[in-house]
Amino acid sequence: MRTFPQPGAITLLVVILSTCLLLFLFQKIIWLVLPILLALMLYYSVRPVVAGLVSCGMRHRAASKIVCLFQLLVVASIIVLGLLVLARAGRWQSSFDRYMDGGKNLIERTTQSLEKHSPVFQRMKLSKEVDVHLNQFSDGFAENNLLPITLQLLECLPSLLLIPYITYFMLNDSARLKKYIIRSVPNAYFEKALLLFSRLDGSLQNYFQGLLLLTFLDAICLALGLAVVGISNAILLGLAAAVLAWMPYVGSIIGCVIVVLVAATDFPDHTWKAYACLGLFLGVRLLDDFVFLPLTIGRKLNVHPLLSVLMLFLGATVAGITGLLLALPVFGVLAVVGETVAQVFTDRKLRARYKASRQLAASG
Amino acid sequence: MRFFSADQNAQKIEMLKSIPIFHKLSHKELLEIDELLHERVYEKDEVVFEEGDPGHGFFIIVSGKLRALPKNESFKTATLEIGPGDLLGELTMFDEGPRTATVVAMERTVAVGLFQSEFSILLTQNKRIGVKVLEEITRTLIRRLRQVLLHQKHLPSL
Repeated sequence: MRTFPQPGAITLLVVILSTCLLLFLFQKIIWLVLPILLALMLYYSVRPVVAGLVSCGMRHRAASKIVCLFQLLVVASIIVLGLLVLARAGRWQSSFDRYMDGGKNLIERTTQSLEKHSPVFQRMKLSKEVDVHLNQFSDGFAENNLLPITLQLLECLPSLLLIPYITYFMLNDSARLKKYIIRSVPNAYFEKALLLFSRLDGSLQNYFQGLLLLTFLDAICLALGLAVVGISNAILLGLAAAVLAWMPYVGSIIGCVIVVLVAATDFPDHTWKAYACLGLFLGVRLLDDFVFLPLTIGRKLNVHPLLSVLMLFLGATVAGITGLLLALPVFGVLAVVGETVAQVFTDRKLRARYKASRQLAASG
Repeated sequence: MRFFSADQNAQKIEMLKSIPIFHKLSHKELLEIDELLHERVYEKDEVVFEEGDPGHGFFIIVSGKLRALPKNESFKTATLEIGPGDLLGELTMFDEGPRTATVVAMERTVAVGLFQSEFSILLTQNKRIGVKVLEEITRTLIRRLRQVLLHQKHLPSL
């Protein structure tokens, strides 16, 4: 695999600032960004399927149509399912209270057990302190967040119909779109622009295909583990937790909290099940970091861990959950673009060739 | 207004058909390969690429004339003019090596470029077209290698 020089400090600063600006803009049009992002993910995951059908003798357009029709059916089913869930939003408050009670019960038992075994915690009056904080959190959380979350979900549902349409467009016309964009690039930068496209395509393909494979592996491990522990709806919970993990760090924690709450509520007298779920999540996290990630998205974006954490913080500050979700892919793409643009700007030979070409075109 | 819709005019397809590397392709196949080709126009004296530049694909001359200016002494006496139908830079399709000569347009020249990323799509998705094009590239390479071996004063592979 070819290696490319890392971007310099100024390029890096410009890329970070551009990422923040884009994330801020994306947050304002999340209803459009979300389907495009999901469509990109689908595009890169179904592209090999379309290529396979084409190599079997099917025409490219027909293969794209078949794949997109299947996607449309899946998306329509998800929307119908989503609407059914949203129709029951009235019951969310009571369900939320029930699971919060289950969680509180687990924490109370744990803190009491800690107090029983350790005089330090007893002196701190740990269970009382935790109880006060938990009550404050759960009361405010339900009132302040449930309605906005429901409204945001309702807002996003219709735009999901855009996903198969955008994917179909990308499958059919991406070569023409690329050709159209390249046409406007001056001769001197033409090969660099083609190389940039090729690298962006490769990075995005690695990232999205890797992410989907990682989600699949996570979902299988979590579902199997939860089934062994005896948690109901193990497959659904495993899948939901794996999808939530698309939000780096925070997503995994949210997924873990949800599953532990379910376990604590469904089995209030078997606290070990909740602890087993916690252990399972830690185990899958370790598997992710040391086995699955290097095997799937190992080569994805080549972003330094410190930089990726910084981008996540910046993304969350600038654009909240949207920022967390998009910070790394947007930064990765802009880093490749910034690096190539910097190479072009610092290449005197290329710039001289461009100037000469312009003069020739003007005189001709 | 047509932005990036298929450019399927008969004249363009006829032009592609007249290029030796594509002469075995059917009308449908030409339409497919046309989507992967990048057309470039070079003014007289404009540099197409420079010796040592990393290459990522090859050009096919449609009209006009180019001249190669290699620094390598062994090529100095060779005829280094490249005209319609000729291939240019085909070696870099396989190894991304540096260009072996600087190439300059001797007159206003139209060329189409086929690059590695597109060519690999062609080879994996549409093997029939890919093999036909590959066959023609190989034929050109063999012809040029034979010319070099026979010490003919003609175009070496660039």
